[in-house]
Amino acid sequence: MARTAIGCEPLVGSLTPSKKREYRVTNKLQEGKRPLYAVVFNFIDSRYFNVFATVGGNRVTVYQCLEGGVIAALQSYVDEDKEESFYTVSWACNVDGIPFLVAGGINGIIRVIDVSNEKLHKSFVGHGDSINEIRTQPLKPSLVVSASKDESVRLWNVQTGICILIFAGAGGHRNEVLSVDFHPSDIYRIASCGMDNTVKIWSMKEFWTYVEKSFTWTDLPSKFPTKYVQFPVFIASVHSNYVDCNRWLGDFILSKSVDNEIVLWEPKMKEQSPGEGTADILQKYPVPECDIWFIKFSCDFHYNAAAIGNREGKIFVWELQSSPPVLIARLICFSLHVKYNPQSVY
Amino acid sequence: MVSRASDSSSKSRQSNDGLGNLTYKLNQLKKQVQAERVVSVKDKIEKNRKKIENDISQLLSTTSRKSVIFAMDNGFGNMPLCKYSGFPQGLGDRDYVNSHEVVLSTSSKLSHVQKIPPYTTWIFLDKNQRMAEDQSVVGRRRIYYDQHGSEALVCSDSEEDIIEPEEEKHEFSDGEDRILWTVFEEHGLGEEVINAVSQFIGIATSEVQDRYSTLKEKYDGKNLKEFEDAGHERGIALEKSLSAALDSFDNLFCRRCLLFDCRLHGCSQTLINPSEKQPYWSEYEDDRKPCSNHCYLQAFSLSLSLSAAVQDTVEGSAGNISSIITNTEGTLLHCNAEVPGAHSDIMAGERCNSKRVLPVTSEAVDSSEVAIGNENTDTSMQSLGKRKALELNDSVKVFDEIEESLNKKQKKLLPLDVLTASSDGIPRPDTKSGHHVGAINDNELQMTSKNTIKKSVSAKVVSHNNIEHNIMDGAKDVNKEPEMKQSFSKGELPEGVLCSSEWKPIEKELYLKGVEIFGRNSCLIARNLLSGLKTCMEVSTYMRDSSSSMPHKSVAPSSFLEETVKVDTDYAEQEMPARPRLLRRRGRARKLKYSWKSAGHPSIWKRIADGKNQSCKQYTPCGCQSMCGKQCPCLHNGTCCEKYCGCSKSCKNRFRGCHCAKSQCRSRQCPCFAAGRECDPDVCRNCWVSCGDGSLGEPPKRGDGQCGNMRLLLRQQQRILLAKSDVAGWGAFLKNSVSKNDYLGEYTGELISHREADKRGKIYDRANSSFLFDLNDQYVLDAYRKGDKLKFANHSSNPNCFAKVMLVAGDHRVGIFAKEHIEASEELFYDYRYGPDQAPAWARKPEGSKREDSSVSQGRAKKHQSH
Repeated sequence: MARTAIGCEPLVGSLTPSKKREYRVTNKLQEGKRPLYAVVFNFIDSRYFNVFATVGGNRVTVYQCLEGGVIAALQSYVDEDKEESFYTVSWACNVDGIPFLVAGGINGIIRVIDVSNEKLHKSFVGHGDSINEIRTQPLKPSLVVSASKDESVRLWNVQTGICILIFAGAGGHRNEVLSVDFHPSDIYRIASCGMDNTVKIWSMKEFWTYVEKSFTWTDLPSKFPTKYVQFPVFIASVHSNYVDCNRWLGDFILSKSVDNEIVLWEPKMKEQSPGEGTADILQKYPVPECDIWFIKFSCDFHYNAAAIGNREGKIFVWELQSSPPVLIARLICFSLHVKYNPQSVY
Repeated sequence: MVSRASDSSSKSRQSNDGLGNLTYKLNQLKKQVQAERVVSVKDKIEKNRKKIENDISQLLSTTSRKSVIFAMDNGFGNMPLCKYSGFPQGLGDRDYVNSHEVVLSTSSKLSHVQKIPPYTTWIFLDKNQRMAEDQSVVGRRRIYYDQHGSEALVCSDSEEDIIEPEEEKHEFSDGEDRILWTVFEEHGLGEEVINAVSQFIGIATSEVQDRYSTLKEKYDGKNLKEFEDAGHERGIALEKSLSAALDSFDNLFCRRCLLFDCRLHGCSQTLINPSEKQPYWSEYEDDRKPCSNHCYLQAFSLSLSLSAAVQDTVEGSAGNISSIITNTEGTLLHCNAEVPGAHSDIMAGERCNSKRVLPVTSEAVDSSEVAIGNENTDTSMQSLGKRKALELNDSVKVFDEIEESLNKKQKKLLPLDVLTASSDGIPRPDTKSGHHVGAINDNELQMTSKNTIKKSVSAKVVSHNNIEHNIMDGAKDVNKEPEMKQSFSKGELPEGVLCSSEWKPIEKELYLKGVEIFGRNSCLIARNLLSGLKTCMEVSTYMRDSSSSMPHKSVAPSSFLEETVKVDTDYAEQEMPARPRLLRRRGRARKLKYSWKSAGHPSIWKRIADGKNQSCKQYTPCGCQSMCGKQCPCLHNGTCCEKYCGCSKSCKNRFRGCHCAKSQCRSRQCPCFAAGRECDPDVCRNCWVSCGDGSLGEPPKRGDGQCGNMRLLLRQQQRILLAKSDVAGWGAFLKNSVSKNDYLGEYTGELISHREADKRGKIYDRANSSFLFDLNDQYVLDAYRKGDKLKFANHSSNPNCFAKVMLVAGDHRVGIFAKEHIEASEELFYDYRYGPDQAPAWARKPEGSKREDSSVSQGRAKKHQSH
């Protein structure tokens, strides 16, 4: 990476914990012997803010946090294919508010589970390879995006089972896509990153009619005129190695590579020429011993804090929106399995 | 010298004092800039925080509203999720928590779903595309991870990668700009200062200096620029010159594919103008109908009818006029054939006579006009009225001078005085714009040229005004209306100069293009190029004006002239390509019965004769004029000249297509087929295509049947289906049965260089799937991310298809053909023609079944093998 120019320096957070908040381990659960790849709280339905789901191996499990740090296991789903290894899970719901769990993994098949009826709602076959991340559109929780090893990001309607858009092609990723995220307020906008070292911002504004069409589609999902979005609106080369996680923080983007830090940057797009622009790196959140890939970070509902684990099983909790960044806590965790720190709203 | 030395020494002393000061200043500035940066970041974060707060509250409302609705519907107690199926785990008041194994009483099964074979998302291409610049993997570092250990393997696998230094230009930040500017403004541009600054920022001194000058420009020119910008925005497209307006056309329009933004041949192709121009498209004069109310032909017919009405006001000469007009028209139409010759005669005479003040209209203009001027009434009219027209135009333009010269003229020209007077008096206030004056005058002139009747002049002026405005009622009314307009146009044309100033540059250039395309046919030019801008009448007037008095506008004719000159020189330089007679004979000896004339090029003959599978050569059109000499890039590359070359059709290096009559060009009897080319209806004599259902009329039937060697060109392909292969991964299947040698479809992909292909090949080898396909000496097809379903056809040593590279309209394309009869829904295989050690294990031939590869290799394409 080029040396930073004067006047463009990022603010780097100090690694001294501020002890602003205390975190305590309340519980330790273990599901068999297989590693858990994802833990996710339900942020899309206030009734279930205390419910979270985990995936590991071919199993999806739902828990609820109760008073006094008690955790209750609610449901569990097991894929009949023992070879399946779920990498990611996300909460979604249909237009009536029935909660869904959307999970994907090595098989490349997206499983949509109707949790209220405890049964499989739909399975989406289409991705050409394993699925690395699934995220839900918070404003329209029937829409999910999936990032896959097949170099594409796809937008799905979980209610109707339609693959609406495929973000790939001429301007698409040139290697596995590892992470994807919806913009919190701009419903058209997503950001994806992957093993081609880039972060790409996509807009589906021009394709929004297809999104709307997907809700009223009554024919077979396979007959839906799925569109390719070939050109992102912005391509950032902030990192020089795999970018394994990115999240929107307002209009800024948090992303991380294998450089022991999370980077907050502002995409500055050129109005005239889509795809081009510069990334202004604003802040850096150091995370020591975090130089291997596929370690993700996770934010809380209010985007106040982000938590990330590292190679040694430590968890760093950063206050995201203070400038310069403040480390809230450094936690020592004995389990290497959990890569997401469960972020509770409580 | 002395003074300079003392200068520098004094300066260095000065700067020695100042150097410490300078460093201090620099640091000071840096601190300031950085402090401001911190503030600005904080500001941004704060702003963003507010935005997020807003977003969150919105999110909260969406999530909670839903729950309210739901709670009302079902009651909170029925919350479907909160049924415990396990046990509450642990209690929170202990410091250390033991690990609990989660035991769930029940777990639902997710029923099995058939997995699909892996693939990388790809885009369908119905036509090959050249790789976009930014898609290159050459010189890019690629990181691989071990599948099991997630240990990084940085793979920058060649020396070249390291050699390529990233000599990127330093991008100056605002802060750096500020430091640079302030320091140089305060301390001047001394060497020490520059050095200090460049060290401080950490870049080369030259870059610092460059930046300073650009900054200077920026600051100095700031005000000016702002002003200019404002001006630019107001500018209308019409103010641009044609070449500027056509810039995007020239750069983005592909003349081979006839579309914009061609992905195959790219933008900014070198423009090749054919040395042979196509004859102008023209209608028969007799059939010609007025193109609109403003047609110059209309002017005649109208004046005919009008003349009767005007009779009263005219002093009895109206009868004459109409007869004159009919006369003129008659002669105009009749003498068409003679026109060019006669015209040139007139011109010659005129040149001799030229005592006039005329800016000497270049001979080129005139003679080329003769050449261009085909059977257009325009031309003939012009030629008839030429002499007068010339003088008249000038008289209008350079009034005073002309008047003198006019007086010197033959008696015949006397009416001109009246005319010019009238053009000064009557027509100008009468007409909407200056053009009309021109039009009127010209028309008048043509008439007067036959009969020099003074009195008719004014009458005709009136009548023409009527025509212009399409007002059939009295001439007086007409006179009033335009008078108001005159004041407006006068403001624009202070000297009362006519037509030419009314024509915007772009209109003039468009007109010239029109002359190039349609010849001197004002109807067509006005309709096709100047619609909404100029009427046919105006164009025809302008045509006459420009041909006589504006040599500098005769771009088209002069370029034509240049071309002919070029052609001549080319002829002079030309050495006939040495045609190897021996080779020719050899070619003929090979039981191929067509004549030399119909066949292609010696090198192709050689290839056919030798039976060697040389890799095909990429064709790039040459810009040679007329005949191709030794310097011709096509000849140099060993390719034939094609229809896209600049050279003439008689060029010896051209591929001439075939004359096949009965064979349908499906065998090696056809020279096109034998040369691995598809027939081209533009080139081959009997190969043609019928359009639609025949209701539009078919071309005259020349052969016995339709040519069977244009299947890629016409996309006469089979429906291919994509499904799970019986062998490995995905496979391509056929929907309907086909017979031997049928064309199945094209293997499309990205066109990449061989170097690129080697690099990509290495990457693909890791993934164990390659879609590279050797196309010719320059390009490899890569169907990895872009292609069609045929990319999924698998390899087999005993295949039912074969791939063949065909030259289709100058482009190499890969066609997949049936090697034998194939039943419907059979899977398609072809021989990738792997090298002996390159085949993947499953694709290796069983021992003993080795087939002589060379026996079938001729013309068969192979997959790319990276080295």
